[in-house]
Amino acid sequence: MTDILPREARHGVRRDKLVGTSVPRKEDLALLTGTARYIDDIKLPGMLYAKILRSTTAHARLLGVDTSAALGMPGVHAALCGADLLGKVKPWGDLMQDLLVGDHFPFAVDKILYEGQEVAAVVADTKYEALDALEEIRVSTEDLPVLVDPEAAIRPDAPLIQEGINYEFGEGNIFDRYRVRVGDIEAAEAGADVVVRQRFTSNRQAGAALDPHGCVASYDSFTGVLTLYSSTQSIFMVRDVLADTLQIPRNRVRVIIPEVGAGFGSKAQMFAHEVIASVLSMQLGRPVHLVLSRAEIFRAGTARNGQVRHAELMLTRDGVITGYRDYVVHNCGAMSLWGNQVVHIGTNVGILPYPIPNIHVDADIVHTNTAPGGPLRGFGIPQTLWAKEQLVDMAAEQLGLDPLVVRARNVVNPETFPYRTPMGQVIDSTSVYDCLHKAAEAIEWERLRADRPAHEGVGLAVSMKYTSCRHPSFDTDLSAVRLRLETDGTVTIFSSDVSHGQSHATFLAQIVGDILGVGFDKVNLAQPDSVTSPFGLGTFASRAAAVLGTACRQAAERLREKVVTIAAHVLEANPEDLEASNDRIHIKGLPDTGLYLENLAAYAAYRTHQLPPGFEPTLEAVATYDTPTEREAPDGTGNLSVTYSTAAHAAHVRVDPDTGRVTVVDYAMAHDTGVVINPLVVEGQHQGGFLMGIGMALGEDYVYDDEGHLLTASFKDYQAPYATELPELTKLYEIPAPSVTIPGGHKGAGESGTGPVPAAIGNAVYHATGVRFTELPITPDRMLLALREKERRGMGSFRYPDDMPEFSGPRTAEEWPEPTGADEGDLLL
Amino acid sequence: MKPFTFLAPRGLDEAVAMLGEHGPDARVIAGGQSLLLAMKERLARPSALVSVAGVAGLRDWTYSESGQLDIGAATTYAELAEAALRGWHAEIAAVAGNLADRPVRTMGTLGGALCQADPRFDMPALAVGVGAEVDTVSADGVRTRSADELFRPEGGTVLGPGEILTRVRYPAADAYRAVAFEKFRYRQFDAALVSVVCAVRPDGSLRLAVGAVRPRPVLVSATDPAGIADEVLPAAEATTRLRAYQRELIAVLARRAIDRVNDDARS
Repeated sequence: MTDILPREARHGVRRDKLVGTSVPRKEDLALLTGTARYIDDIKLPGMLYAKILRSTTAHARLLGVDTSAALGMPGVHAALCGADLLGKVKPWGDLMQDLLVGDHFPFAVDKILYEGQEVAAVVADTKYEALDALEEIRVSTEDLPVLVDPEAAIRPDAPLIQEGINYEFGEGNIFDRYRVRVGDIEAAEAGADVVVRQRFTSNRQAGAALDPHGCVASYDSFTGVLTLYSSTQSIFMVRDVLADTLQIPRNRVRVIIPEVGAGFGSKAQMFAHEVIASVLSMQLGRPVHLVLSRAEIFRAGTARNGQVRHAELMLTRDGVITGYRDYVVHNCGAMSLWGNQVVHIGTNVGILPYPIPNIHVDADIVHTNTAPGGPLRGFGIPQTLWAKEQLVDMAAEQLGLDPLVVRARNVVNPETFPYRTPMGQVIDSTSVYDCLHKAAEAIEWERLRADRPAHEGVGLAVSMKYTSCRHPSFDTDLSAVRLRLETDGTVTIFSSDVSHGQSHATFLAQIVGDILGVGFDKVNLAQPDSVTSPFGLGTFASRAAAVLGTACRQAAERLREKVVTIAAHVLEANPEDLEASNDRIHIKGLPDTGLYLENLAAYAAYRTHQLPPGFEPTLEAVATYDTPTEREAPDGTGNLSVTYSTAAHAAHVRVDPDTGRVTVVDYAMAHDTGVVINPLVVEGQHQGGFLMGIGMALGEDYVYDDEGHLLTASFKDYQAPYATELPELTKLYEIPAPSVTIPGGHKGAGESGTGPVPAAIGNAVYHATGVRFTELPITPDRMLLALREKERRGMGSFRYPDDMPEFSGPRTAEEWPEPTGADEGDLLL
Repeated sequence: MKPFTFLAPRGLDEAVAMLGEHGPDARVIAGGQSLLLAMKERLARPSALVSVAGVAGLRDWTYSESGQLDIGAATTYAELAEAALRGWHAEIAAVAGNLADRPVRTMGTLGGALCQADPRFDMPALAVGVGAEVDTVSADGVRTRSADELFRPEGGTVLGPGEILTRVRYPAADAYRAVAFEKFRYRQFDAALVSVVCAVRPDGSLRLAVGAVRPRPVLVSATDPAGIADEVLPAAEATTRLRAYQRELIAVLARRAIDRVNDDARS
């Protein structure tokens, strides 16, 4: 996939389209030669270094923090703790609509809620002096009982984690609930020929972006402007929350990003360290550098929410899915900005690609004394798929049907588009049926289902994923682009949506190049900067191609209209007879005629008498695109995404019967990403997404001991896959079903590669061994012990861990707990 | 990392003198692949580092007259992996070439691994398994110990603060008909979860050791896989998932090692 720039494009000669070609990425030169500048590379004159002291206990009363000895250490300029900021900065967490409560504060004040929570900070001339001084801070605590298990957190006698917060449902560790009520689940259950039920749990996973979380805050006491350089996915979310926290006007906070070495959702909020660095810089009038270590990021960054799902799937004997019921216990850690949203969107969208007529979901969203939960590649969808896509296989087995046939019978495949599912999604186009069969065919599904080698098996999983999102937390789904035709005929793109691996500089230039006729190399993306960039939400939810791309398309069309107006005036031509290409506005079909964009820009800037009468002399155009999506209804329904991408995955695994190691022998993925702007970039997203999916399936987890200490807080212990553990992924297929809602037909690619992976592997492992994993990850130790126990008991099929002797959870649905909430008396239903 | 004095002696006498001069907070550093990580995390805070990387005569390998393989302690894994070793000694090169990752193998040393005495490392288990000897030097002179004597039961080594490991001597090529080292690790570059060394003596009897399970590598008397597992990690002690898994792996890896040496010895 290393197509070089087509020769014509390289030579600036007109060719038909840049969109759709694998133009080499503009980003690569700086990244591959090491000249890209990340947050830790920023050095400002007079800059000081801050470090944070973090709690080593997971749950305790904080009796006192004494920073006096630290202040006397060499090189130290200041120290801060919670008591210093009480009443001076505002807690955050509730700024945006429906985000719950202001439970976030720069430091623990009277209580420690998780290991790694901020307790104090020191700023010194060097980072080593800051670390030395941290060792001199005295912290007095009184330990409290620790809650690691989310199911324990909802017991009535469980110790209270967040105290003094009156949630919507009263005081307790349940800080939010979620539900879906579609159709009549009782009727579906009564009418079903088969109901499969299983409790599934899923693991917590780190973003593990190699570029650490961090910032440099620089307060200018003369202008009163606080500039924050930060490794973040959203400059305006950080700006707005930071300004609110500090209670200063938003036009006095400027957020700029350097190169961001990935986020995956883990940098989609403002963090305590950004407030701490800002306060220290404002106090001292000097720039303050504060970059977190890997251990800090593991403990206090956000991690994928773990879930316990009590899931049921109802079907007719023909394999038609008629109902889905689930009770979810959703672990958000000790505090969480986005965590509760994850179960909303992850469930709503995770139900796809099946238009199930009866859906009944309850979720208890709980606190534990663990790392904050939050968004991570897939936003809850991988967790839903892990349960639902395995239930499909379990049902197929009971019905004596091929899992491929059951899926094919159920995937959304309407006669006409747009089609609205019972859950409320508006499917404007899809090739999911074809994707499913393509993936199965590529893995040799028929052959391997009929005759599999010993210890080998195949499995399928299929999803449709959002490509933008109107979050329940805020009623918006917009991105904006401002374009400026510069006076030499180059074009600058201004956008606040941070590119942290999405290749904005490349794909936006492809869109602009096609519309404005400007050469690819003449288009440059400006660094996102809240002072100069138009307001936008940021980069998450796989929204760049569809939403940002549409804003860019519209801005480019507006800019083209302006230059065409000038050209028509100067050339005394009819605007309808002109077109843009070859760096010019020219008569249609005569690309060597007309006026260069450089000349047209110069008229608007320096020769304004050449302009049409009344023409406002500007060559800027801005466009904001807000998607026609819906808010989530009280019954959980709604069309939250502007369009939906498809991912059909097929896995072929081998399980070593001696060691339990699961090797992915072969893997195929067929995707509908709509009109692909840059195939090279999209393949990169799929490859990277697959890596994260394999990590979730086979290794990665936040392992805590009973005292809430994270045992996997380094890359040595955290089992993220190495390249050596991955199969070479060559079976990638695109079956484009262009979106009709998005003008360019694009759909998001960023998360398609991840979601179905754990379920596809789980299904393949079952086919290979007869062991149904209901817990993630599928590590060699779990696999081998399951095989041995299955053999010992002579069972044909076996559930891990449900059928292990030491398993203490409910083994059958009769033992499942009831959701804590009730519909009775609920005015919204 | 905390400030420290870096010392680069050119001879062993000088190195020993420096260790004496800087007291118990001074540490010997070879490749630094364990020590530097610990220092970076402030888990180790030596006042001085005495580097043996530049000490003459510690970075080579030779065959002694009696046929023993004599390897300088500062020889890197990468150098060992490239060494043209004969007979069962080739297994030492194979082990050195199949641990950690390439940067670690380029810097990390045989002696460093033995002194670090991490039970999950391969070289301590291999040294105990084949009955290697180690030489050390200190202000008290030169001393030779068996590898088995080097490791404390509770972990770590018996070496004193002023003692420097200089050479590792492996029994002659004719001491064993074959040696097999087998291990399991989660990921390619991880340390072992269990390792097993099996050596066949000329009379056909087996010498077996198990690493990564106890705080130090252990020699076992049993020669059947199930018996080895019982001896190193009895079922009653395998109560956690990790321990239960290690117990299974001991038997699996012992079987693989025994089968392999028997194949090698026959061929």
